[in-house]
Amino acid sequence: MAVPVLDPPLDRPVPAVTPRRRPVRWPGAALAVPAALAVLLLVVATAAPLLAPHGAADGSLTGRLLGPGAPGHPLGTDGQGRDLLSRLLLGARPSLVGGLLPVLAATVLGTALGIAAGLGGRATEQALLRSLDVLYAFPGILLAIAVATVLTPGLTATVLSLSVVLTPAVTRVAHTEVRRIRAAEYLEAARVSGAGRGAVAVRQVLPVVAPVVLAYASSLVGLAVVYAAGLSFLGLGVAPPAPEWGAMLDELRPALLTRPELAVLPALAILAVSVVFNALGEALRRRVGVREELR
Amino acid sequence: MSAATAPPVRRPAGARVSARALGEGGIGRFLLRRLGLAVPTLLGVTAVVYATVALVPGDPVSVFLGPGAPAEARAALAERLGLDEPLPVRYLTWLGHAATGDLGVSVAGQRPVTELLAPALGQTLLLTGAAFVLVLVAGVLLGAAGATRPESPLGRLCGALSTLSISAPQYSVALLLIAVFAVKLRWFPAGGTHSAFGAGGPGDLLSHLVLPAVAAALVPLGLTARVFRAALASVLAGELADALRARGLGRLAVWRHCAHNASPALLTIAGLQLAYLLEGVVFVETLFAWPGLGRLLYDALAARDLPLVQGGVLVVAVAFVGINILVDTAHAWIDPRVRG
Repeated sequence: MAVPVLDPPLDRPVPAVTPRRRPVRWPGAALAVPAALAVLLLVVATAAPLLAPHGAADGSLTGRLLGPGAPGHPLGTDGQGRDLLSRLLLGARPSLVGGLLPVLAATVLGTALGIAAGLGGRATEQALLRSLDVLYAFPGILLAIAVATVLTPGLTATVLSLSVVLTPAVTRVAHTEVRRIRAAEYLEAARVSGAGRGAVAVRQVLPVVAPVVLAYASSLVGLAVVYAAGLSFLGLGVAPPAPEWGAMLDELRPALLTRPELAVLPALAILAVSVVFNALGEALRRRVGVREELR
Repeated sequence: MSAATAPPVRRPAGARVSARALGEGGIGRFLLRRLGLAVPTLLGVTAVVYATVALVPGDPVSVFLGPGAPAEARAALAERLGLDEPLPVRYLTWLGHAATGDLGVSVAGQRPVTELLAPALGQTLLLTGAAFVLVLVAGVLLGAAGATRPESPLGRLCGALSTLSISAPQYSVALLLIAVFAVKLRWFPAGGTHSAFGAGGPGDLLSHLVLPAVAAALVPLGLTARVFRAALASVLAGELADALRARGLGRLAVWRHCAHNASPALLTIAGLQLAYLLEGVVFVETLFAWPGLGRLLYDALAARDLPLVQGGVLVVAVAFVGINILVDTAHAWIDPRVRG
């Protein structure tokens, strides 16, 4: 399974009371550097239309496959003479959205399902976990492919299919965390003082589960960006002529043997984003104290 | 303590824990139980795979007859294709055929899907096997080097290398490898399994295997290194290592004992990576023109050849479940605590 599942260390003490706010600790370089780079990426993606020197669709029959450093085209042009720097900049937005939105959806849905499974009684728990086992039986990208085939290619297909892939993993993490605390006395105390199920879930359980789930979810963003571009590369996600890194990868493939320095550009962009978000996720996970489990 | 006299213990949910509930079960019982648990999972898998094709927009009758066909002709064809049956019945019929090895006929190839899948599966196993060797060797070396001196520059470098390796998407790596080692340096061929001209033979195959195997191996390799490093570092920092040192064992001997204790974690993660390799091949095989399952799936997707997509996904998912069972069983075999 490609989606790694994290379990909290079992020796972590069960909080005796609802945790209070801890004093702010300043992040070290391991967290600050990838965080700053991630913010920079988001800014570039948002401001891309202002930064791009050319339009995404401005082609030219004479200026095809120009090498990097060509006049007016610092990174060269693609097979239709379109400026690659502009397309990479403009492609950042769909590429990042394709990675971030599914993680967001999976975080919300997975947390809700995980808390429901943990607090909802044995029958609900078993039903939910066994259905998730089925989704777990697929390698991640294959499940995404299977779901995306049903949908019309586009960003919506990417977001929907990746949400399906990521939700089971988040649910497991949330459920493990709920199971760890569900016998705690402060939950009992809340129930005895008349709090309903929903109130216990939102006010007592969610604050404990949220940091762990968020740290885990942040480590999924890199993976999701890679999957999203992969789906476009396979022709299931964002389709040409829209600028998107995975789709550009496929478009530039014919130039691989003649102009390899152009064909690797979108590959490098995806690699860079993946490294930034994975480093960020790892640093956040260490800070929250979630260790990586085998599966 | 035999199972009969064991006091009844309420177990929390979860397959891993319930495996412990076997008591002093043998490895055979463990495997049987694990296989039993896989049956509903596999049924669910087939249902998901079937549903993906059943839900694809577009009506096969209209495709065959055109939109203006008379109602009687439509009804007759629907009956012949079995489309007049309700969805659950159609699913059961398909399941019965799939169980006997009949996965339908490829739309684009006009050949039985199984005939196309079988040779592709062989090629994929060759590629994933080669990649798995890389994962094991390099993952263990990288993890061991990182764990032995975690705070030294070498240890930090190994940690950074495994993070980089984990983050490297197979298609990016594949393209970079082709650009550098096939196009610029011309050390290895850019794709295929054999050269069109030349001697052929195992050496030729091997040189075609190097780049795709590296591209497929990087992510699993990084994960293996990271997990083995964490497991080994915790054993090296624990009481076992202290006790061994107190008895006067040399550094190497201490390290050897600790590595042995960290090996179940290595086995589990490496086994899971074997399954993960099946996922990466979709991209690697496509870019390297390797005639395996991944490439077949890519072509089938491009041609919207749904029976072939369905069959390919099913084969990979079944292999995935099977590998997971084998890994769990091997883990239980090495580490009896897992089975009770």
